[in-house]
Amino acid sequence: MPSSNPLDNIVRRDFLQNCGLGLGGIALSALLGDEAKSEQTQTNPLMPKSPHHEPKAKAVIQLFMAGGPSQLELFDYKPKLVELDGQVVPQSYIEGKRFAFLKKDPKLLGTRRKFKQYGESGAEISELLPYTAKMADEIAIIKTMKTDNFNHGPAKLIAQTGHQEFGHPSMGAWTLYGLGTHNRDMPGYVVLQSGNRGPRGGAYLWSNGFLPSIYQGVPLRSQGDPILNLNTPAGFSDNRQRRAMEAISQLNGIRHDTTGDDEITTRIANYEMAFRMQSTAPDLVDLSQESQTTLDAYGVTPGKASFAKNCLLARRLVEQGVRFITLYHTDWDHHGGGENLEEHLDQRCKETDQPAYALIQDLKQRGLLDDTLVIWGGEFGRTPMGEVRKSIGRDHHIENYSIWCAGGGIKPGQTIGQTDELGFYPQEEKDRIHVHDLQATALHLLGLDHLRLTHKHQGRDFRLTDVGGNVIDQLVS
Amino acid sequence: MNSVSAESIIDYETQIKPILAAHCYQCHGADNQESDLRLDTALNAITGGVNGTSIEPGKPGMSLLLSAISGTSEDISIMPPEDEAKSLSDEQIALITTWIKQGAVHPKGELEAIAIKGKDHWAFQPIVRHALPEVTQRDWPINPIDHFILSQLEERSISPSREANRTTLIRRVSLDLIGLPPTLAEVEAFVNDPAEDAFERLVNRLLASPHYGERWGRHWLDLARYADSDGYTNDQPKVMWKYRDWVIDALNQNMSFDQFTLEQFAGDMLPNATTDQLVASGFHRNTQINREGGSDAEQYRTVAVNDRVSTTGIVYLGLTVGCAKCHNHKFDPVSQKEYYQLFAILNNQSEPTHTLPVSEPVPADYQQVSAQLSEAEQLLKKSIDEAKKDQQIKVDALKKQRDALKKQYYTSTYIMRELPNPRETRVFIRGEYPAKGKIVKSNVPAFLHDLPADIEEPNRIDLARWLTSSDNPLTPRVTMNRLWQRYFGTGIVETENDFGTQGSLPSHPKLLDWLASEFVNTGFDMKRMHKLIVTSSSYRQSSYARPELHEIDPNNRLIARQSRLRLDAELIRDSALHTAGVLTTKLKGPSVHPPQPAGVMKLTRNPNRRWTASQSEDRFRRTMYTYFWRSTPYPFLRTFDSPESNTSCTRRNRSNTPLQALTLLNEEGFVEAAQTLAVRVLSEMPNASNQDKLQYTFQLCLKREPNAQEMTALTSLLEAELKDTSPAASPVQRYIGVQSTLPNVDEAELMTWTTIARTLLNLDEFITRE
Repeated sequence: MPSSNPLDNIVRRDFLQNCGLGLGGIALSALLGDEAKSEQTQTNPLMPKSPHHEPKAKAVIQLFMAGGPSQLELFDYKPKLVELDGQVVPQSYIEGKRFAFLKKDPKLLGTRRKFKQYGESGAEISELLPYTAKMADEIAIIKTMKTDNFNHGPAKLIAQTGHQEFGHPSMGAWTLYGLGTHNRDMPGYVVLQSGNRGPRGGAYLWSNGFLPSIYQGVPLRSQGDPILNLNTPAGFSDNRQRRAMEAISQLNGIRHDTTGDDEITTRIANYEMAFRMQSTAPDLVDLSQESQTTLDAYGVTPGKASFAKNCLLARRLVEQGVRFITLYHTDWDHHGGGENLEEHLDQRCKETDQPAYALIQDLKQRGLLDDTLVIWGGEFGRTPMGEVRKSIGRDHHIENYSIWCAGGGIKPGQTIGQTDELGFYPQEEKDRIHVHDLQATALHLLGLDHLRLTHKHQGRDFRLTDVGGNVIDQLVS
Repeated sequence: MNSVSAESIIDYETQIKPILAAHCYQCHGADNQESDLRLDTALNAITGGVNGTSIEPGKPGMSLLLSAISGTSEDISIMPPEDEAKSLSDEQIALITTWIKQGAVHPKGELEAIAIKGKDHWAFQPIVRHALPEVTQRDWPINPIDHFILSQLEERSISPSREANRTTLIRRVSLDLIGLPPTLAEVEAFVNDPAEDAFERLVNRLLASPHYGERWGRHWLDLARYADSDGYTNDQPKVMWKYRDWVIDALNQNMSFDQFTLEQFAGDMLPNATTDQLVASGFHRNTQINREGGSDAEQYRTVAVNDRVSTTGIVYLGLTVGCAKCHNHKFDPVSQKEYYQLFAILNNQSEPTHTLPVSEPVPADYQQVSAQLSEAEQLLKKSIDEAKKDQQIKVDALKKQRDALKKQYYTSTYIMRELPNPRETRVFIRGEYPAKGKIVKSNVPAFLHDLPADIEEPNRIDLARWLTSSDNPLTPRVTMNRLWQRYFGTGIVETENDFGTQGSLPSHPKLLDWLASEFVNTGFDMKRMHKLIVTSSSYRQSSYARPELHEIDPNNRLIARQSRLRLDAELIRDSALHTAGVLTTKLKGPSVHPPQPAGVMKLTRNPNRRWTASQSEDRFRRTMYTYFWRSTPYPFLRTFDSPESNTSCTRRNRSNTPLQALTLLNEEGFVEAAQTLAVRVLSEMPNASNQDKLQYTFQLCLKREPNAQEMTALTSLLEAELKDTSPAASPVQRYIGVQSTLPNVDEAELMTWTTIARTLLNLDEFITRE
């Protein structure tokens, strides 16, 4: 990709020709011997590391539907629920269970949506997702996902960090910690966001937790600088910026000699990475090099922030070698009353269905799908009961919800797990798939053993999957 | 082959014990007691654990043990857990059933075992004040600390490092004690002070500075998980700054550490508690509050109590007490029951707020209106008919006025209040809410010293006194270790939050004990301990990483030198503002809003929440006063590893990342500081040569003179800048900090010198304590 940024060319010529991995700088390499170089290479925490076993996926794209999409309107069709619509739910189903908002004697709510079976696999998909239906044989649907907390914040934390408490590393941070990254010009873990607001939980969802901060997710912003503080300050030309950078490296190099502190070497390397990011990131978010056909396929309107744009950016990030990308699309919390399962669910589906399809097709065409695991889903699902509000909605449900996966070593064209006739629980207990199982599987596909990827904190070894997690064999090709 | 017939009498020793040993002891034996249950003696088995009696002799049907091993219990999943061990066979279950039916007979000699793990662990032993070790190099030690450090170095034939030069020393000790670099005048005065006690007087001055309370207060706030918002997803604003200010004041007054502890744990319970003591009880109100719709308030109240227990454990005992929330501690002698006994002490408060003036005295207009109001109310009582109506209108108007003023002049901070009747505390089986286990009474863990004999059910006052009792071996060790860690980068015990059996061993055990005993003997005098450490030879050493030490002691555990430490987040920004000459040194008060990049607040569920950068002196306050939203922390702070402030943080990371480079290069506040610094130099020495200006800028930033190599580098940068006559890429922004003092400087000159200033403010040395 030719660079449109003049800074970039100057950099490549003058500044980075001596760069090893994460190391370099004309000033430094002039000052240090080879020994210092190799030491630096060893201590670079983002250096690619050997996986535990042969990986099937090199990168992950999470399409996170924040708020909890209704599986009963999208993937999990329950004729019996339609039949019993409006009746009080049998006590046996809700005995001893708590819900966030539902009151006594809630009534069942049958879906108003039409479902059909698609593809050779015959996957059940709703009329709300016509594009997803077209790729029924390229995805694997899991209908019996289970999580532990029915509040948005904690449930999102479980989905991303494996724990409901704040302060644990997210899956992206664990991945970088375990594997490092091949990319030298961009952070290895990037977060994109669309919708009216940020996901509840905010920066915790892409936090490094107790891991070093170099592993935290970096939000790529849709307005202003794509990365915080990426732009050279107003008034400073690229030349001035470059000269300042060179002087900083040179002076830091001199200080390294005086103090013998290798931390300075890392700092020099980081200034250089920062400088590369300044030229790479703006190029990356510049979609003018994409063809109209591509933009149309995703449904991107130039200049407008959207999930579609973020899907396209995700592909570009994967091409750049970025390891882990999370897209948040908010407002799937359809209780009825305000946000509901009628107009608002329709809108969310329209915003996401086509771009997600386009992303999978685009990755496939470019030969990237096999190496890229794509996971679609929210923090939980929604209850078979409706909520009594002005318009139709459902409460949070954590016993069953649906997600889908594609690419990256999964076995497509299958539906895993069946729910009971009302969609409350898995038909069979053995079909229950916990969030930790999905996390264990994602790490497994990346070549990591979730039991071995641990970090000692406050006196004990922690891992992404807390004390659970089994690889979902059926999902793995 | 074990076959069971009705007639046979079961022998416990040969038939039952082997089954239990093979299948149960791993989790319910001498080493581990999951759910407080141990089965390695019959008496223990009968007594049971948190779920109550496990064997009812003669009544198999009522014996929990049987329903657990046969998988018929509603509360307990089948034992042993399916994924951990093989289930018992039907024959084995039948044997145990018969044994219980026959009365669970067991030999009289088998006693109830009492499990105390790791009781002989070093950290739980009494503190011993060792004699000072002999050293060969007798002129090196300044105080006892140095004897301990030097003797270990001499054992390994390593020589200590020479004392750092005076400019390094004053910068180091100023940053460490008050969190600000020295001014050039202060540097000069110290460098040229011929008196023998020059350094000691410097230390005295710094310890007496009110900024000492800010610097060390911020360290304490890390432990206290201080923030200005609730946390969780709704993350509403939360007034806690009164507590923050209390910490600053307490440290500045050099309140003894035991009193400091008592007021924070139980200020509200002290006789005739003062307002300050009420505010201090906010220590354990810094926990997060979940206000998400549909969440269970009681559940999250207990989450907060759990956090109070584990914070207490980590901050005072240096133990991961929190591990015992779900099961007996795997490695340390804290049982699950004991965890909930501590929980019970901290489970007995209402959690109100307390209204108090924002600052005192309350402005006069409030007093006036209040007086007018009570006067009018008196009149109202006396008036009748029409007059009464009119008077009522007057009273209402005054009330409205008074309330408006009250809103302005008063605030409400979060405090504790002990409930008249204790809450019942039950064990949370496997740590899961709601609690369903046995009822427990408040108490302290048994492996440490006892409470005074007359205390049966300790409350928060008793807990605070127990924590800081002279019999407590952990609190002084843990506290002194953390102090050491702040000065040397790593504690004497590297795992500063784990003094348990899994923690690392102390590098200098005798030194740690000496510091701990000194701390106790001086009545927990904090400033005295600071002074001891910073005036030692050990502290004053150069931080130069001698090549030979690289091999022998790469992590500087032996303290044969000082360590270069990257500054804490707050200090980086404070140093830049101080160097530029715009730092507002005002102490305390409500949290402030310096500039932050646009759009940061958008990444939350409250995208409309505003962050309006202050345009006045609050823009340049010390960074510890920056408003801290837990869900959207000030980016500068997080980029440089400030804690997220959700749970207690005993040690910050010192990361080194590209985002830090981008921040120092491009962040608005930092560029503003650079421009302000440039203007400072240009206006302070308008007629000086460029070389002199370069020298001066360098000295302002690093407090020392540049060497020849550095001058060459800077000179060539300056020359290139001066040659660059290309117009600015876009209009140069004039920042607030410089607007009022902007001299007659042309745009190109300002750009040039701002570039020089940016370069220097970005140096590793600038953000490092050497």
